[in-house]
Amino acid sequence: MTHPAWNEDTGGAVYRSRDPICNLRIRVCLQRVTSTSLLLQQLQQPSCQPGQQLISLATLGSQNAASGYRPEEEEEEAVIGWQEKLFSQFEVDLYQNKSACQSPLDRQYHQDILKLEKSGGRKNYRIFTYTDHDRFTNMEEHCKRVTTSAQEAPSYLAERMANVRRRRQERKPLDGSVFKSRIVTWKPSEEFIKNNHVINTPMQTMYIMADLGPQDKLGHGDCEHVLCTIRVDSNGVITVKPDFTGTKGAYRIELEGEKRELWKYTLENASAVVQREEEEREQRVFKDLYSRHKEYLQGLVGSDFEMTLPGSLRLFINGEIVSAQGYEYNNLYIHFFLELPSRWSCPPSQQLSGVTQTCATKVIGKDRVAFFSFPFTLEVFFTQEDELEGSLPQWPVLYFEVLSLDFWQRYRVEGYGFVMLPATPGAHTLTVSTWRPVEPGTVSELRRFFIGGSPELEDLTYTRVPSTFQGDRLSRFGFRTETTGSVTFRLNCLQQSKAFLESSSMKKRMQSVLDRMGGFSQRGSLYGVLEAFQRARRRMQEARESLPQDLISTSTAQL
Amino acid sequence: MAEVHVIGQIVGASGFSSSSLFCKWGIHTGGAWKLLSGLREGQTQVDNPQLDDVAYWSHPIDVHFATKGLQGWPKLHLQVWHQDSFGRCELYGYGFCHVPSSPGFHRLDCVTWRPLGSWQEQLSQRFVGGGPQLLNSDLIYMGADRYRLQTCAMGTVHLQLAVLLRNFDRYGVEA
Repeated sequence: MTHPAWNEDTGGAVYRSRDPICNLRIRVCLQRVTSTSLLLQQLQQPSCQPGQQLISLATLGSQNAASGYRPEEEEEEAVIGWQEKLFSQFEVDLYQNKSACQSPLDRQYHQDILKLEKSGGRKNYRIFTYTDHDRFTNMEEHCKRVTTSAQEAPSYLAERMANVRRRRQERKPLDGSVFKSRIVTWKPSEEFIKNNHVINTPMQTMYIMADLGPQDKLGHGDCEHVLCTIRVDSNGVITVKPDFTGTKGAYRIELEGEKRELWKYTLENASAVVQREEEEREQRVFKDLYSRHKEYLQGLVGSDFEMTLPGSLRLFINGEIVSAQGYEYNNLYIHFFLELPSRWSCPPSQQLSGVTQTCATKVIGKDRVAFFSFPFTLEVFFTQEDELEGSLPQWPVLYFEVLSLDFWQRYRVEGYGFVMLPATPGAHTLTVSTWRPVEPGTVSELRRFFIGGSPELEDLTYTRVPSTFQGDRLSRFGFRTETTGSVTFRLNCLQQSKAFLESSSMKKRMQSVLDRMGGFSQRGSLYGVLEAFQRARRRMQEARESLPQDLISTSTAQL
Repeated sequence: MAEVHVIGQIVGASGFSSSSLFCKWGIHTGGAWKLLSGLREGQTQVDNPQLDDVAYWSHPIDVHFATKGLQGWPKLHLQVWHQDSFGRCELYGYGFCHVPSSPGFHRLDCVTWRPLGSWQEQLSQRFVGGGPQLLNSDLIYMGADRYRLQTCAMGTVHLQLAVLLRNFDRYGVEA
């Protein structure tokens, strides 16, 4: 006899669906697992192990006599739609007399039951449902016990939450105009607080229940058991607790009481599956919509994009001079220019130099900092003339000097520096240290302090390799400098070239080729190993043959 | 046509001499750029920090641009204002930063400055507030006429921007 594999995992599962929730259908099969059904099963399918069968028959036989054999109550199956009301025996009894009906919902149920009676009684027997509007749903949420404590009472918060939940149904959809007119509610009403102090996804609940009372005494409240709880919120999130029994075994309910009857039930998603053609049609509609939207965007902007000439690289730099820190004097400004090496060019409108505003410093930590946030945009082109030339292209360099201006309009050189424009695209933050030339002796420093002015570079490119320099050794012997502060640049580099286009497509093509090669190469390596083995074997044979005959004969003799 | 999404926030400001700050911001783009969705300018609430000197705004930025070229890459310009206890607003700083051109998440610190008046104006500013402002706010994000200005360094505005690029690789642009 096979023991049924019970599903012990009664945790919920979360599903998401974009379909309207009214399409949800759940098939519930409820079956009593008692001696009788087991007996019946075994009678129908004789087991291959007679010994065991006898034992089980014997042990189950005693119970068999106690509960009568009624084939019609053994099993019940129902397909239930979302918020579909199936009345229980208890409800039928209750709502049949009109005097018990108080709320409009009760009266509605009264009508429904009368109609049912006319049309020949209800179809369901044990399985029934409680919908979102039913009193049970609220009660269940309100009085739900979470511990084994007998005196557990709902906490203040739980009561509040239950209130909130009930309120949600009555709530009308929010209209935004109320919130636009005033952002802050200075005098929130009690109701407003209740509604707004919890996460507010409106949720609907439905319970699938079973009345597991004895056959002739259906309709007792204490025999009702929850088979499944289904919650759906407005975003299409469906929570089913416990989960549908797919390949897993059935769930079981063990009744309390002396008989300890055992019931098993399965839950199945019986929603109509979307037809293949419909699905395709939906896909097509979506595709159409997306392509329309794309066309619309292209109509707005235009589908073209400015391109570079073939064989040229466009370097596009969005830069800013952020700040200068650590300088001796106040009121700093920065003068900068870009040097383009040979084979680099720029459009005629491009400004290649600039002067920032004069900025009074402020003290941060130990340093005095001047903030510029000075924008500049550089757009330069590199044209490759002949590919044969092996030398790497020289990259443009930004030279700058930091100057200070004082109250008497005297200016002083504060520092010189240069930035190699980054050769990789992306965002770069560069902090460049600077120096200034000093003359030996105190006189020039005194002059600098009192009347301003100080030794200056005639050519800013001296900070790197002077533009006039020719020769193979650059010597700065005898030139004295002093370290001053530093300047922070932020550079966002973009590079554009037709070659990238080709290379990226090349990369892809290469990749696919490599992928295809992958299979070959593996097989190739296998062949390689085999071949090497053959070669080694041949060499060994040759070596063996070349050995003196007597050596071989002695070795065989020893063996 | 290539597209740029900028999603992020103006987190807050620090380093200003007094609290109770708010920020006006805008994004300037060149002619080849078109705003597809989102707001290209806005203003935060006034934030009055109680303990720290950092004012937090957490103001959202969510814009979607389409472009025909690289020229005129979006520039974010900011104005930090101070509101005093009498409800008077006073300029505290102009700031600027390029929207990063590389995709990904960027934390940016945008430094600010403010025009400096004559010494009489500075004196009156010290006691009654106020002070000179820019006539044209395009000087915030243009470098051309900056040399005329006399400024002083103010605080820093903190930004977090996530940049998404689309179709740039189709036109041979590496970012």
